[in-house]
Amino acid sequence: MDNTIEVKGMRKVFGRKTAIEQVTFNVEKGEIFGLLGPSGSGKTTTIKILTGESTQTDGDVNVLGMDSTRFGSSDFKSKIGILSDNSALYERLTVHDNLKLFCKLYNAPLKEVDVILKEVNMEDERTTTISKLSKGMKQRVLLAKALIHKPKLVFLDEPTSALDPGNAAQIHRGLQKLNEAGTTIFITTHNMEEATELCDRVAFLNNGRLQELDSPGALRYKYSTHAFHVETFSGKRLVIDNEPENAGQIKELIENGEIKAINTDNPTLGQIFLKVTGKELVS
Amino acid sequence: MNVQRISAIFEKDMKDFMRNITMLMMPSISIILALVYNGMGIGGGEDEYLIFTIYVIVGVTFSAVTSVCMVTMMAEEKEKKTLRGLMLSPASFVDIITGKSLVTGLITFITLVISLLIIGFEPLLNVRAMLGLILMFLFFLMLGIGIGLFAKSVAAASAYSMPVMFLFGFTPMIELFGLGEDSIAIHIAGVFPIMQAVELHDTNSWLPLGIIAIWVIAAALFTYICFKKTRTDD
Ligand SMILES: Nc1ncnc2c1ncn2[C@@H]1O[C@H](COP(=O)(O)OP(=O)(O)O)[C@@H](O)[C@H]1O
Ligand SMILES: [Mg+2]
Repeated sequence: MDNTIEVKGMRKVFGRKTAIEQVTFNVEKGEIFGLLGPSGSGKTTTIKILTGESTQTDGDVNVLGMDSTRFGSSDFKSKIGILSDNSALYERLTVHDNLKLFCKLYNAPLKEVDVILKEVNMEDERTTTISKLSKGMKQRVLLAKALIHKPKLVFLDEPTSALDPGNAAQIHRGLQKLNEAGTTIFITTHNMEEATELCDRVAFLNNGRLQELDSPGALRYKYSTHAFHVETFSGKRLVIDNEPENAGQIKELIENGEIKAINTDNPTLGQIFLKVTGKELVS
Repeated sequence: MNVQRISAIFEKDMKDFMRNITMLMMPSISIILALVYNGMGIGGGEDEYLIFTIYVIVGVTFSAVTSVCMVTMMAEEKEKKTLRGLMLSPASFVDIITGKSLVTGLITFITLVISLLIIGFEPLLNVRAMLGLILMFLFFLMLGIGIGLFAKSVAAASAYSMPVMFLFGFTPMIELFGLGEDSIAIHIAGVFPIMQAVELHDTNSWLPLGIIAIWVIAAALFTYICFKKTRTDD
């Protein structure tokens, strides 16, 4: 299997505080990998280590076939894109001037500026000064900045946490398109819908420890009770276990035309997170 | 070093400078000071105070323009978090600093030329004096970069730069305090870069240039240490 990120026994200590403890995982080439955890669980710290903004106290970290000692090289830097709280734009300059700068720094052709502005739906704001943009628009320019050099791997640290659903959905569509074109995406979030919708696989991070790692579908199946939840026209809600001896009961409900809705138990990632960690994803 | 990246940063910082009212004000300080001295009848001719006055103007330009430009650019990039974006790009620290230094160098050069045209520049037209100016430019440049990187915010950077600028930029002013020739303060001030540059005109020795070069090395070390702390969050 072709892994874009390989992390083994990663630990990060700040003074007396351990932020990351024995974290091990791989991110496969071409997937959208989600790191889920409440605030303070170590998501940003993990991204910083993977991008070379911070160094692990212990453990092996390998990204794009390079170990962490090479994260300062321009070869590494030109292959990754980052959007995080630490991303910022030059407020006094225009959208175009900002992107032009990064185009040149990454040695990308200048025509990419207009291509990427179209991708993030900002071509009309081309000559607008950054300080005049709304939060959602700024975030889209930041995304454009992170993608302008067509990185193989993109890190997104809670990219939509400050955005309204409309702006978030727009970013989600952009990320899906990007992924279809072959880009590997590493995203952190505490938004379970975002993770369910976007991610091929998710990992739960709680107090710096990794607790589950699988596809959202597999996790939902694993933590499902597999019972049928039935709502009848008379307003009753029944939970019927998925056992052969209950087949008669369900058959009877169907024959009597009583069923308004029938579903299998399918917990959300948020509910699963609560079950696994005893903690709400969003407090 | 990468010419394309340096020119990208130069272009960006030049545009940013032109839209920054505070920064645009700084060069006017030395030019106004030159006009004031000129109005007082100093400069222009064979005035005995000419060299002293020239170095007051040079000190003010290097501190208020060179250092303050660098401090403000670096501190603002840090405070607004844009520096991280540059550092995460393939641009090296040397590319970033060189691009910014070229902007600062250009503004310094223009300011100095205008101010010295007003007050007079003949005493500077020799190799030693020119070398002295270049070394002092490097000193004030790196001092500015270091302070900008060291400070956590633009406000803190301005606060730190004030005393440092007065100390190094306004050193010749100590003569106006009426301290005795043997006072310790005068002796200490005597080895400061600007005073060594004044000294150059009283001697044929290259020693003052050597002393200024030591100041440049010290400033470079200070900048390097501050840079090391900026790269990661550890
Ligand atoms: N530079 C730092 N110094 C000390 N502690 C830190 C530092 N960065 C993060 N931490 C601590 O590490 C833990 C994880 O933080 P973080 O990775 O930012 O969490 P998240 O991004 O999931 O909200 C927190 O308890 C935080 O206080
Ligand atoms: Mg975070």
